[in-house]
Amino acid sequence: MPAPHPAPGALSLSKGVEGQPLLVARGVTKHFGGVAAVEGVDLTVAEGEMLGLIGPNGAGKTTFINLLTGMEPLTAGQVTFRGRDISHQAAYLMGRMGMARTFQVVKPFRNLSVRENVAVGAMFGAGGAKRSSRESLAKADEVLAFVGMDAKARLGADQLTIPDLKRLELAKALAMEPKLLMLDEVMAGLHTREIEAAMELIRKVHASGVTVLVIEHVMKAIVGLSQRVVVLHYGEKIAEGQPREVMQNPKVIEAYLGQQYARRHAPAS
Amino acid sequence: MTRRNRIVSVIVAVALAALVLFPFLDVFSGALVRTVTVVVMAAATAQAWNLIGGYTGYPAFGNVAFFGVGGYAVAILMSKLHVDFIPAVLAGGLVAALYATLLGLPILRLKGHYFSIATLGVAEATREVVSNWTALTGGGSGITLPISPDIPPIFNRAMYFSMLAVFVGSVILTYGVTRSKLGYGLIAIREDEDAARSLGINTTRFKVTAFALSALVTGLAGGVYAYWNSQLIPEDAFSLDITLRAILISIIGGPGTLFGPALGAVAFEFMRNYLWDNFPGLQFTFLGLVMVLVIIFMPKGVMEFLTGRRRFTASALLQYVRQNRVS
Repeated sequence: MPAPHPAPGALSLSKGVEGQPLLVARGVTKHFGGVAAVEGVDLTVAEGEMLGLIGPNGAGKTTFINLLTGMEPLTAGQVTFRGRDISHQAAYLMGRMGMARTFQVVKPFRNLSVRENVAVGAMFGAGGAKRSSRESLAKADEVLAFVGMDAKARLGADQLTIPDLKRLELAKALAMEPKLLMLDEVMAGLHTREIEAAMELIRKVHASGVTVLVIEHVMKAIVGLSQRVVVLHYGEKIAEGQPREVMQNPKVIEAYLGQQYARRHAPAS
Repeated sequence: MTRRNRIVSVIVAVALAALVLFPFLDVFSGALVRTVTVVVMAAATAQAWNLIGGYTGYPAFGNVAFFGVGGYAVAILMSKLHVDFIPAVLAGGLVAALYATLLGLPILRLKGHYFSIATLGVAEATREVVSNWTALTGGGSGITLPISPDIPPIFNRAMYFSMLAVFVGSVILTYGVTRSKLGYGLIAIREDEDAARSLGINTTRFKVTAFALSALVTGLAGGVYAYWNSQLIPEDAFSLDITLRAILISIIGGPGTLFGPALGAVAFEFMRNYLWDNFPGLQFTFLGLVMVLVIIFMPKGVMEFLTGRRRFTASALLQYVRQNRVS
């Protein structure tokens, strides 16, 4: 019997990764009153892949992540993670099951040191149950070395610059030892050189065996990082596939740059 | 041990030795023992408030409910069921903690001002229930506890040491909490509850635990107070003054710090005595003024001032105004 064909532009593209579905979202919907912030989005994240989620401002990317992580309740739809239905599970349990995220608007614990911030992730994340608070501080040092912030471990979180705060978000999430890491615009507001450093770090995280979902506005970063890209627009999925393919999709160009631009630059057909 | 830790240990040891020994020195009158008992009680209730208000960042305005519930539990156990003082006090603390657990599950869903108002309302409601449940509590005319067989100086000293034990216990409890995962979780909740949740912290369970521990200590203090006073009426046991003093002391001393409440209690009682003696009629005006100055110049209380992280200067005032300007 022939193997079933994978969906075009899906798992077959993630070379060398035997991708079992890690997270599956079906018909995920969120309405705020009469406004549909996210409408019937399907998404599968395969184990080991690096998936990009893009879309113009207000497309519903962050809301979508809030829904996946249980920070906000679903209006409709279903989410499974590692084969378990987590559609209505409390947010803190997501972390323990191996899901971690960063916040676009950084959320440091300002009155704690950098090291303690990261230790909180180590205490309560997927690997937290087996660790005491002291062991978690040691784990925090390990993670800070990994992300290149060991020199700043003793600083207060309120003393950090924006790039460092973004890096701290990542370190806190990594200390949870996640299976799936969702990065919500960790590169927004960074300079070109800082973006390159961040991309390198994200590749390093991915290479260490973590499945990564990158939400990004910076196109260059998405193209450079992702094996596969999903595009949201007005809360709906409008395209999915290989980064370069998706970038040439007229619907995506229209969503980002407007109808006029799309018509003028449409590939001759 | 770092130098700073060594200095702190020495100060704590000296203070503790003084607190334990002074009631045995004859030069001190019994009145002083009574006065210090009141200060220690205030310090204990402030340390208790510190757990929910200081570390967890939930400004509870109804902690007197636990003081009253603990007190009434002791009064009822001792007068109606003839339970001994120590087991009765321990039971009183547990009853208060249980009450906080049941209350906390619904009201800890509220945040900020809403939470404060809810706790205030709960304290008033509790007082009303106690005032009207005459069969159990004696209603408005109160409840009388068994009189101790000891002569007053011995009895007062025993009550002082009981209150001191509650206070020292509350400091040890707080120290344990700050070193544990619970403490980190509570601080994370105070700093950013959404981030705490997404890092895997069961925020509801943690907040309820902090509230229950706060109630436990407050209830123990209320229980000792009940026996010491030998009579309990709702107006005393549920006086808003108890809540406010705990909060003011915490804020003056340094909310979310281990020794803040102790320092705050001493500072507050000195200030109060001074103002009440020297500015009769204007004492609350001056108290209010002092509170405003403390919040502007030492938002982390006397602790911050002592550790030299903040200076009492005009530039600090300007900085405060800049940061808090309403635009």
